[in-house]
Amino acid sequence: MGITSYDWGLIWDYRSELLHGLLTALEVSVVALLVSVVAGLGLAMVRLGKKPFSWIAAIYINVFRGMPALVTVIWIYFGVSLVVGINFTVFQAGVIALSLLYSAFMAEIFRSALQAVPHGHREAGQALGMRDTRIFVSVVAPQAFKIALPNVGSMFIGMIKDTSTFTVIGLLEVVRVVQNVNAQTFQPFVLYTAAAAIYVLVAFAVDLLFRVGEGAFSTPPKGAVSQLLRGRKQRRIEALVAELA
Amino acid sequence: MNTLDPGPLGDPAPGTPVPAEKGVLIGDEERAEALAAPAAPAGRRARRDGAEASAQPGVATTGDPSQPVVRIRGLRKSFGDLEVLHGIDLDVHAGEHVVLFGPSGSGKSTVLRSINLLEEPNSGSVCVDGVEYGPGLPGEEPAKRGKPIELRRKVGMVFQQFNLFPHLTALENVALPLRSVKGMKADDASRKAAESLRQVGLLQRAAHYPGQLSGGQQQRVAIARALSQDPKVMLFDEPTSALDPELVGEVLRVMHELAEAGMTMVVVTHELGFAREIGDLNVFMDAGVVVETGSSELFDHPTDPRCQDFMRAVR
Repeated sequence: MGITSYDWGLIWDYRSELLHGLLTALEVSVVALLVSVVAGLGLAMVRLGKKPFSWIAAIYINVFRGMPALVTVIWIYFGVSLVVGINFTVFQAGVIALSLLYSAFMAEIFRSALQAVPHGHREAGQALGMRDTRIFVSVVAPQAFKIALPNVGSMFIGMIKDTSTFTVIGLLEVVRVVQNVNAQTFQPFVLYTAAAAIYVLVAFAVDLLFRVGEGAFSTPPKGAVSQLLRGRKQRRIEALVAELA
Repeated sequence: MNTLDPGPLGDPAPGTPVPAEKGVLIGDEERAEALAAPAAPAGRRARRDGAEASAQPGVATTGDPSQPVVRIRGLRKSFGDLEVLHGIDLDVHAGEHVVLFGPSGSGKSTVLRSINLLEEPNSGSVCVDGVEYGPGLPGEEPAKRGKPIELRRKVGMVFQQFNLFPHLTALENVALPLRSVKGMKADDASRKAAESLRQVGLLQRAAHYPGQLSGGQQQRVAIARALSQDPKVMLFDEPTSALDPELVGEVLRVMHELAEAGMTMVVVTHELGFAREIGDLNVFMDAGVVVETGSSELFDHPTDPRCQDFMRAVR
């Protein structure tokens, strides 16, 4: 009994199932990330805009920031099927639930990022005779994007973790795989530890990825990635200067 | 290399006398090379006598040279319930240098910001180079409303906080509005931007980001950015107030050369020594009204008691 019965080899035996669960979790999260970044940016702009619409956006944001992922996915998968008669696949239900929830968070991230861009930069654009859309696209959005990026990374980690609740609708993600394997092997401690380790490792990887992303947009350019992205531009300017000097 | 170090460009020490080559707008050592190839700055040459001016591109008026470039009539502005401008009238003629000064809260910056409609007038009107905007005077037909963007494209503005776009290089800061406002091709915009940077002595800093430049250099890039749009009038909103004392000189020098070159300018400043040098018309404001106007005599012999108090306080 006790410690000797921990069979850590199980993790290796079921590696392909676990990996498959992870891939499913990542697929749902990545699709939902793309949707919620776009929707969140739209929501943030409506939230900062004119009145009846900004209220509607505020209500949406506060409702879905308050909803637990578990409740939301049940509501989408079973509720929508019962009330409207639309039957989503578990994958679709997971993506929709995550997108609904996280567009609300993204909206708040983007709202604060847009507001963090100094008002003087907008005024400078106006004073130069630039149109509002051009000011947004070329002046405000790039700066806001840089400010928002670290928080978007944190949200992405949160999304991956929240896929664990989708086990309730039968999505074969990490926790569901662990439950299935446990039903055959009765090694919950080993298997749930493995699940925890997988989530933590993924969090580290995502953090690394977003750090590289942040570096890529730093000014002045720092590191290999931003050199790769902007080195050519820099050299073009230097060549022009050399030509004119 | 320390990016704040002026390096081979070596800005002269503050207080260096301003060279008097008329019509050449150059910040520092690059002056020599630009003199050898004078094509670039010539376009912005203007004279107050007007005859030569109307033939030159980038110079004050398109229409009648006797008309003021900027005409402000009965301008009133309120923030909430508080009226901060109680009816301002001001004409700025081609090639004229107008200095707005007075205690803080007097409304001088608001007047300046109204000229390019960063502040929307509550009453009265602003007219720049024939484009009029504003609700007009009470009891009068509303002023013909031009598009604000059309008016803004005739006006260049330099801010206290520089307001360069931090994610773009110095060159891109100048080139972006050339592309999006003037519709220039990327390559042409870059070349024109580089020429503008050369005018303020910062060609060698073209690839730097604002964060890598000193405050004085940033402000000079901001001046180049506004100038490259070929404005009819340049507005300066306390352009040296955010600068360390040793960096004030280089910015004032560029402004001085711009004034020498005949640019129409409206300057809000606390640098009364500088105002005395360039100001053709000096306007003392207090509590939202123009109290007194005059030539440089105004600084030595103010007649209104409020202006006298102010001059005593700053002396």
